[in-house]
Amino acid sequence: MAKELFLRDVSVGDPMPTLVKEPVSKVQLVRYAGASGDFNPLHTDPEIGKAVGIGGQIAHGMLIMGFVGQAITNWVPKKCLKSFFIRFAGMTRPDDVITVTGKVVDKREDNGRIRCEVAARNQKDELIVAGQFEAELPRA
Amino acid sequence: MADRSKIGWESSPFIWEVERGKIRELVQAIGDKNPVYLDREAAKKEGYQDTPASPTFVTVPMMWTGVLIRVIKALKINFSRVLHGEEGYEYLKEIYPGDVLMGKIKVTAMDEKVGKAGAMDLIRLEILYTNQRNEPVLKASTLIVERK
Repeated sequence: MAKELFLRDVSVGDPMPTLVKEPVSKVQLVRYAGASGDFNPLHTDPEIGKAVGIGGQIAHGMLIMGFVGQAITNWVPKKCLKSFFIRFAGMTRPDDVITVTGKVVDKREDNGRIRCEVAARNQKDELIVAGQFEAELPRA
Repeated sequence: MADRSKIGWESSPFIWEVERGKIRELVQAIGDKNPVYLDREAAKKEGYQDTPASPTFVTVPMMWTGVLIRVIKALKINFSRVLHGEEGYEYLKEIYPGDVLMGKIKVTAMDEKVGKAGAMDLIRLEILYTNQRNEPVLKASTLIVERK
């Protein structure tokens, strides 16, 4: 899916292609719980969420990091990815629509690496996660 | 409150065999249709030996082995007050189906912070994963936040 991407194709300030996800569904949270092994009931049982005062189900933070990972490796092949860091900033609920964006903030000719800032926001433009990744791109 | 005497504490090694189906199941839950994670032939065309693990895959061994829960208990952290603050990875080698990962989780720092929501403890955990050839494949760093 990721087309060949060379160092010369990328400049500081370039955007990463934006990824707009389908709305997060309750079934997706159950699937993610089973896939990842994170069975914290806050993610799958709305009654628990109400009882602890967060007002219902919230998505796994790692699901949203997974969305960001999807956006990154749609653009930069996985084999080029050297590091990926995320800070969790907000909660995601069923039916939220997450959009992942990114921007190249550094490019080094000596080691062929680019550094990009990434963020995921919901439909109200609230920040859900922010972070960065580094990738080493081929020269030719 | 987290037990500060545990800075430097390290878990016993945990082992996780990577299955092709688990790599696929995780990307399908995310909704990532990138064929390199799903189809061995597509992956080979892109220069991989097999379907590589996706960028956030190591959440699977950490959660399914129960090691994170064991650490939280060992540190006397109140699980119901835990938030995930940060997660970061350094990728050293691809992880493929059939790999047998070994990880050790280490508590590298504990700090106290007073934020908008009150006082909290910040606990930094690091895991180095090696494969069956004893090659380091991935370094993971997790920041756990315990609200007081």
